[in-house]
Amino acid sequence: MFLDFFRTVRKVYFGHNIVLWLVLLVLPIGTSVFMVDVFSAEILQHIPVGIIKQDRSQLADELEEGLRANPVVDVVLECHDFSECEHAIVKGELQAFVVLPYDLERRALRLETPVIPVYSSGQNYLTNSFATKEIRSVVSSIGANIFTKMMDEPVKVQLQSVGNTSGNYQGFLGMGLVTAIFHLAGILAAVYLFSLTFRDHRVREYLAAAGGSRAILGLATVIPMGVIQSMAMIAVYAYTHRFMAPMTLDEFIMVSAGQVAMVFACNGVGAAFVGLTGNMRMSTSAAGVIAGPAFAFAGQTFPIMAMPFAVRCFAFLLPLTHVLKVQSCMLQGSVGKAHAWDSIAILIGMAIFWHLVAGRTLFMRWKRAAQREEEHDLKSVSLFGDEVKLRRK
Amino acid sequence: MIDLFTRLIKVAFAEWKLFYTDAAAVLLLVVAGILYAFYYPTPYMNQTVSKVPVAVVDMDHTVMSRQLTQMSASAQQIDVRYVFSDLREAEEALADEKIYGFMVIPKDMEKTLRNGGSVNLNVFTHGAYVMLHGNIGTAFTTCGLTLGATTKVKRIALGKKVPAAKAMAMRDPTPLSIQTLFNNTGSYSNYVVPSVLVLILQQTLVIGICVLGGARAHRKFRKKFRDSAVENEKMPYRYFGRSLAYFLHYCSFILFYHFVIYNIFDFPRRGQLLPMIAFAIVFLFSTINFGMVLSQVFLRRETSMQIFLFMSIPILFLANFSWPTYLVPSWMVGLSALLPSTFAVPAWLSIEQRGADIFEASALLYPLALQAVFYMLLGLVLTRIRDNTPLKTGDM
Repeated sequence: MFLDFFRTVRKVYFGHNIVLWLVLLVLPIGTSVFMVDVFSAEILQHIPVGIIKQDRSQLADELEEGLRANPVVDVVLECHDFSECEHAIVKGELQAFVVLPYDLERRALRLETPVIPVYSSGQNYLTNSFATKEIRSVVSSIGANIFTKMMDEPVKVQLQSVGNTSGNYQGFLGMGLVTAIFHLAGILAAVYLFSLTFRDHRVREYLAAAGGSRAILGLATVIPMGVIQSMAMIAVYAYTHRFMAPMTLDEFIMVSAGQVAMVFACNGVGAAFVGLTGNMRMSTSAAGVIAGPAFAFAGQTFPIMAMPFAVRCFAFLLPLTHVLKVQSCMLQGSVGKAHAWDSIAILIGMAIFWHLVAGRTLFMRWKRAAQREEEHDLKSVSLFGDEVKLRRK
Repeated sequence: MIDLFTRLIKVAFAEWKLFYTDAAAVLLLVVAGILYAFYYPTPYMNQTVSKVPVAVVDMDHTVMSRQLTQMSASAQQIDVRYVFSDLREAEEALADEKIYGFMVIPKDMEKTLRNGGSVNLNVFTHGAYVMLHGNIGTAFTTCGLTLGATTKVKRIALGKKVPAAKAMAMRDPTPLSIQTLFNNTGSYSNYVVPSVLVLILQQTLVIGICVLGGARAHRKFRKKFRDSAVENEKMPYRYFGRSLAYFLHYCSFILFYHFVIYNIFDFPRRGQLLPMIAFAIVFLFSTINFGMVLSQVFLRRETSMQIFLFMSIPILFLANFSWPTYLVPSWMVGLSALLPSTFAVPAWLSIEQRGADIFEASALLYPLALQAVFYMLLGLVLTRIRDNTPLKTGDM
């Protein structure tokens, strides 16, 4: 039995083309590392803003210098009139512009509270919120110096993000995206591996390698795939997590348990798609529709509680939602551990359920496909169309 | 001339017929473009996040701390579900995701403020959620700073012996008025979906072309269409005829998104006719030629799908819509210049969302036009090479 198992593993994993290893390992790791490096600047800075300086006073100069000295915004354009800045915003060259109106200083000193208009493009949610926050901070702190320089602000607010104190976007988005990529990889790799035999009419050949046992063929396909992808995911996650507060050993074990359960659940989903559809094209399409945009549904960017009810139900069915919850619980330190168990249990339940569905459907399909291959004397073919000879026991 | 058009249109019709009779191609080139356009915006149908569950940890228990709590409770973005006296309880609730943030009102806050001192209000948000961090932070910060402003006005009025109105003006002599253009409700769907729609067009078109291009290398396809006049047409006619079929088909998608999807999901629609036409021409030709190049590379119909599904996320983040390009490592920026979406997404946002005219959009349309020419030349060369290569790849 063990010999059959290892022979099947060899056949499944080392018997064909590069696409398998691309989908199984190279693309998930490569894409994940790439995504993490996209956010290597870690925080938003140098947001391009413009300025219209209608007032030529000391206060206007101070405000301009304050904006220029701010690391988050960069004054890249001093416009001569309103339309110049407006056009630059439309073109996407500026995120926002500040108008320092005529008689700003004189009116401010007369306590006429001259309003400083700021125009910001709301099209980009992230840069808009950062730019307006910084402009507000610069203007209010310089404005406050006019009459109340010696007076402290009575209330200061300190905003802290638990588990990501520096507001690092590699932490905010990078880790979620890595998980989303492996979520997709888990499903796609299973779809590829399980449907390959149907596409190339090689069911008899693979069953022959497994000693005729469909159980061995299934296990020899799914176990190495789950192990390889779990290891890869844990390694990439650890690489990504180095930007955040370090995890303790038990936190690492908890997260890893969640990730392993997710990978197996995704493999089960992929295998079940093949079992249900019976061909690579349809199951790959189904995997693409479900797992492609899964990150948008999993709640890390737009929260699940703000989604319509039907979408929340769909989000619950995605393994990604639960593993992201495990990861986010771990950001809370020891307090989060107890709460991560529920999500891990759900993931394990999903893995078992989908593997049972896959087992049931694939067993039937393998049997039928083997019979069909025999009846029609279908030839197994390699990538280049060459016939593959069956190994007879 | 007429003969040229007739031959091109013949190839275009044959291509349409082919992809409407091929289940995989229909799924990608017809169904996916429609399905995704409805499917992707659904999580964001509520557009903004309001009433995020939060808590207040009140260690002061005074009239002022209760006022601050009430002020927070009335903020639109947050919903104060719990008022705790112990920090640990708030941490537990945060870990359990019963709340997504909390504000700590320190002990003796009122006493300190009345004695002329200053206090720190700490706001903690859940580190895993970008958007909630901003919403909760803004709501609590506004409440805290309002309390600070009231206190400061009182201090100025009493200290400098001036009326309240004057004290208010002295506290903030240069108030800001922030006008948010193009998305004044702060809608999340308005921010994400338009960019994703362009990506949907690109990805479905490229994968679709690869699926059909891949089919041409298959033995079964070659056997079936060996004697077809269209498949034996001269290479430039085949190339441009097929491109024409995809171009006309995807023009209808751009119109569908502009007139139907934008209306249904209530996205601002400021696109003018001329820049829209220019965008459609350069974007589609760039993408079609890009797809034609790639279709010569993949031997199997499904391979492009398997590989491009992985690429969607990086491609989206390289398109300068979410994370600014100037913060992306330069080698990635160089790599992204090969993708039509890198220029198409900002161009689409500029034209459709911000109402750019042809001159304003031209800086983003030129690179797309260059890409179209580059990929067309490459595509023609690769098609010629493929035509002369005997392939006998598997089934259909």
